[in-house]
Amino acid sequence: MNHFDVTYHPSPTLTRSLLVLIGAGVLAWALGLVFAPERAWASLMLVSFWLVSMGLAGSLFVGLQYACGAGWAVAFRRVPEAMVAALPVGAAGLILVFLIHPDLYPWMAQHGESTGFQALWLQRSFFLLRAIVYFALWLGFSAYLVRNSRRQDEDGSLSHTRRNIGASLAYMFVFALTYWLASVDWIMSLEPEWTSTIFGIYNFSGMFVAGLAAIILLVLWLKRSAPLCDFVNDEHLHDLGKLLFAFSTFWMYIFFSQYMLIWYANMTEESVYYILRQQGVLGVLFIVNVVLNWGVPFLILLSSAAKRTPAVLASMAVLILIGRWLDLYLMILPPVTHGRAAFPWIETGMMLGAMGLFGVAFLAWFRRAPQTPVRDPMLAQSLGYHN
Amino acid sequence: MSQFQLLGVFGDESNLVGAIKAARERRLRIVEVYAPYAVHGLDRVLGLKRSRLSLVCLIAGALGAALKLWFEIWTAAIDWPVDVGGKPWNSLPAFVPITFEVMVLFAGLGTVGAFLLISRLRPGKQPKLIDPRITNDRFALLIEETDAAFDVGRVRALLERHGAVEVIERLAEEVPA
Repeated sequence: MNHFDVTYHPSPTLTRSLLVLIGAGVLAWALGLVFAPERAWASLMLVSFWLVSMGLAGSLFVGLQYACGAGWAVAFRRVPEAMVAALPVGAAGLILVFLIHPDLYPWMAQHGESTGFQALWLQRSFFLLRAIVYFALWLGFSAYLVRNSRRQDEDGSLSHTRRNIGASLAYMFVFALTYWLASVDWIMSLEPEWTSTIFGIYNFSGMFVAGLAAIILLVLWLKRSAPLCDFVNDEHLHDLGKLLFAFSTFWMYIFFSQYMLIWYANMTEESVYYILRQQGVLGVLFIVNVVLNWGVPFLILLSSAAKRTPAVLASMAVLILIGRWLDLYLMILPPVTHGRAAFPWIETGMMLGAMGLFGVAFLAWFRRAPQTPVRDPMLAQSLGYHN
Repeated sequence: MSQFQLLGVFGDESNLVGAIKAARERRLRIVEVYAPYAVHGLDRVLGLKRSRLSLVCLIAGALGAALKLWFEIWTAAIDWPVDVGGKPWNSLPAFVPITFEVMVLFAGLGTVGAFLLISRLRPGKQPKLIDPRITNDRFALLIEETDAAFDVGRVRALLERHGAVEVIERLAEEVPA
């Protein structure tokens, strides 16, 4: 039996608002399919990839803690664990896109135009096979990590921790390879004539900083609405803030690395990517992207007091989540709309829907276990943690 | 006038922290605390003010970035303009990596330099250890007599109650700077 009263009941208002968000998303998608089907499908791909990334950020965060032997985050580890629930939801959306609307990818329709390795790599059946392999590995590792952690609540056996350390070490390698390839397959191949060797890391930096932002918001919310109030203190927030600051800067570093090399070499087949994204309204959004993901968070989170102030930390997390959405928008939509700017009602509506789905999936998993890993050997260390 | 001092030597950091808390509650004057490594939470227990070293770091970094940016613009666009790939002379993206590196260099060296200066750690400085074991496995708390009400016996009892393995009485002249 569990030692804690684990039944956490989200308030009816919360459940209702999440359902309203999902409804808005479905409505936006349905209307989008009628009025601008290309944008609707691209947007479905975007939100599904976002959900997959959120789920992966959760299991990656958990895996990193095990792999490093870190104890500080144990107190709120149930939050990233529950985020994993978004992974299958996003995977379902992506499979839907790949099966029903593969024309999103120009190379699907134009057989024989690409040559060499690209012709070999970008084939429909191989593409689908790879997607299935990625999902299987991600779901397998994530489920294994979470299951071991939850079984430890019952028997308190150290063997679960040992198994998770081993699995996490393997997961780091598997994740790095598969997430890189998945970003290339699903996003970079929207413009098959364009290549960037840093694209996988670029996507990783964005997904991890957004994942940290989501962890911060969920931890702050669960701390305020009781489940985590006895477990999380300012020291945890401070460290989460440091990670957010560091990975926001890492994102900027990778963004700039990709941008500067293409800007410097100025080769037609490479610079076309940025030329498309620096015209008109998109050019403004291009700058806003950098300001939201790095500019403001960097300046604000420099001070340690800001990292320990929930309101400040939460607003930076919100900025970064909006920035992540904009970043994905700028990666995915311009090739589909050919750079034409349109008011993003489909994209916004569907993003709200994805947030609703994320919330429902998260709560469903968070409720199924004690709010903190009650018998983790490092829980005491995490509770008494200070910087 | 030489001040009378009591040195409490501890074998454990939690005992040290406990003794500091008790000493501060009784408003005893704590001259110095010695530890072989950085004890977490010690600053807070001692009620120390936040170090201004991070401000030095910020200013040195900003200075480095500004100077380097100016130097790059001056060399590439004013003093000796060179056409690189048909780009404008003042091409900011090309300046970013070097500006960043110099910012880090200034911030790093500036912070270390400021730290050495404030701590008066100069080459050839003779170490004056209050007890050689504080570099190994002992923690020490130095308390100074403030007025006539200072009761040696009670302070000694306080230190011992909090797990001091040894209490040494001394005069202030012997104390290292």
